[in-house]
Amino acid sequence: MSVFLAVLWKDLLVEWRSRDRLAAMAVFALLVVVMFQFATPPGASPESRAHLPGLLWIAWLFAGILGLNRAFALELENDAWSGLALAPADRGWIYLGKAAASLAVLLAVQLLSGVAFALAFAVPLDAAAPGLAAVAGLGALGITALGTLFAAVAARTAYREAMLPLLLLPLLVPILLGAVRASAAVLADGTLPWPPLRLLLVTDAVFLIVSFLCFEYVLDE
Amino acid sequence: MSAIGSPRNDPRRAAPVPAPLAIEARGLAKRFGPVVALHPLDLAVARGRALAVLGPNGAGKTTLLRLLAGLARPSAGTLAVGGEAGSRRARRARVGLVSHATALYPALTARENLVFAARLHGVPDAGLRADALLARFELDAVAHRRAGAYSRGTAQRVAIARALVHEPEVVLLDEPFTGLDARAGALLEGIVRELAGRRTVVFTSHDLPRAAALADDGLLLVAGRGRPLDAAALRDADALARALAEAGA
Amino acid sequence: MSEAGRAPVERLAARAVRPTGVLLALAVPLWLALVAYAPVDAVQGIVQKILYVHVPCAFAAYLGFACTAVGGALYLWRRVEGWDRFAASAAEVGVLFCALVIATGPIWARATWGRWWSWDVRLTLTLLLFLVYLSYLLLRSFTEGSERTARFAAVYGIAGLAIVPLNYFAIDLAGGRSIHPENLQRGSLGAGMRAPFWVGVLTALLAFAHLLARRLELAVLAAREAAREASEADPHAARAGGSRP
Repeated sequence: MSVFLAVLWKDLLVEWRSRDRLAAMAVFALLVVVMFQFATPPGASPESRAHLPGLLWIAWLFAGILGLNRAFALELENDAWSGLALAPADRGWIYLGKAAASLAVLLAVQLLSGVAFALAFAVPLDAAAPGLAAVAGLGALGITALGTLFAAVAARTAYREAMLPLLLLPLLVPILLGAVRASAAVLADGTLPWPPLRLLLVTDAVFLIVSFLCFEYVLDE
Repeated sequence: MSAIGSPRNDPRRAAPVPAPLAIEARGLAKRFGPVVALHPLDLAVARGRALAVLGPNGAGKTTLLRLLAGLARPSAGTLAVGGEAGSRRARRARVGLVSHATALYPALTARENLVFAARLHGVPDAGLRADALLARFELDAVAHRRAGAYSRGTAQRVAIARALVHEPEVVLLDEPFTGLDARAGALLEGIVRELAGRRTVVFTSHDLPRAAALADDGLLLVAGRGRPLDAAALRDADALARALAEAGA
Repeated sequence: MSEAGRAPVERLAARAVRPTGVLLALAVPLWLALVAYAPVDAVQGIVQKILYVHVPCAFAAYLGFACTAVGGALYLWRRVEGWDRFAASAAEVGVLFCALVIATGPIWARATWGRWWSWDVRLTLTLLLFLVYLSYLLLRSFTEGSERTARFAAVYGIAGLAIVPLNYFAIDLAGGRSIHPENLQRGSLGAGMRAPFWVGVLTALLAFAHLLARRLELAVLAAREAAREASEADPHAARAGGSRP
């Protein structure tokens, strides 16, 4: 447990010192949204607005991947990785510490870019905000939970960062679908439907358990 | 292969009873797929000895250190470190490793790196331990500067402090003298000598004279096969150089 | 390569190559005959018969991935390289069957519904499986070091297997749009369609088993060759009597 807190503290401290991860992710998310605006034909028809939740989640998904890659790039400098591997602790806690730190950063990015997105696309947020926050949190949890495991794998392959989206995206389909459905419902009428929420919860739980158990083998040499 | 470093014959040691073995390996081997990095090796290092592992590049020295540190899983054989023969996790608690890479986070200061390492190893009062190590290695001046800015010698001292944060019985150093200038090298020699008194030290090196001067015993590794060297053989620089040359160093 | 690197399944595979080959040689003509003589579907026409390839291959594709994941898990548990060879071989054979499913689906869909692709639930799920297979194979080829490759691939295989049921529910949630004909569900096959269907499944599974056994044999030979080369490169091996590690 203290190992978890130590890793979390260390990651957040390193992030705070440079703040580059947060900035890069937030700017990236906003860029994706702006690009989409240029990519769609003019005239805000109701159909095109239906795609907005999906767009936002795609932006968050790729921002999340960007952040996850950075989380492990910092471990490869000076082979700090070995320092983690040498700890006589259950490696699942190291995993949780890193996942929690990435989650914190992604949540911050979601907040910043979500607000900007709502302002830019005139999406009324007042009633929807709590529900949206919950969905954003659950979705981010799924992305960082599995993403931390695979980022650790990808960082040590020949293609490094480019490997992560290949590994991660097919497996994040349940998260994407559940989050987009739930977000769309919340924005439409303020309700939070149970089926997508259940999918998110179950998927998050599966990701956390599988990653916690498998991290041992990823940190090995 | 016979055990190396029996303390009974060493005039430096006053202890009448034989000290327990710090490292005991039987048939220790490591394979990476079809490639054998380390052929079955028997090794016995008594507590408080300094062992120099010599050999050409690619001989398996780093592999051996990683096995001893619990970073790699042996393909065959048994290994006990600090009396701990069980899991690799338990062995990791007894060992400190200083690799060629410092394992330091450049964005954090020396003190923060040490505190993190202490917490990672479950050391209570991580802050106090970090401060004590900083003082011992004369790092107070740089303690609050980011590690990314350190010179090689300073970074290495922090790395050694980091390896000692959990007070391990066995300290492993991989090519510690590489890349150091004369002054830093002399400092490091002093540190290694000081360490070797209370703990068991295993280090690899290309620097034959230095290794011979510092170590009590030696192990010559060539193409994954090990041969023990006693103190006399270690100091015979010519014979060593010849052995390395004929092995295709 | 010592006997310690062999998994029980490899010894089984070596013995299974010939019997599965023989059975396959018998099954294929039988299956083809049954398919040829099966009644032509009243609504869909003769194109419906492509489903006698499409569905059995799907069985094999999913079985293949299950073998990959289980082989990986067994490798992590037992650390016997044979299990990793099994997992890799199953992936290579399984991806072929998966590709066949993806290829035959649109042919049928286009003829029946006029569209090449429709994001139908099951086909999308199989497409995802195909992508996971590809990522698995890419991961294997881009990781250096056979031990690290085996470990990473095993972890990915396990995660991938855990996702398959989740993806099923996810895509179902996405509207569950299915143009898959309902009459392909078990128990509701029309008269005269059961035989070619089940023989088709048997044939596909036999083909999978046979190809897997052969692929595994090849992998074992390659590993032996690599071990022999490695020990020959060792200058001391001759002096030590050429002992194999």
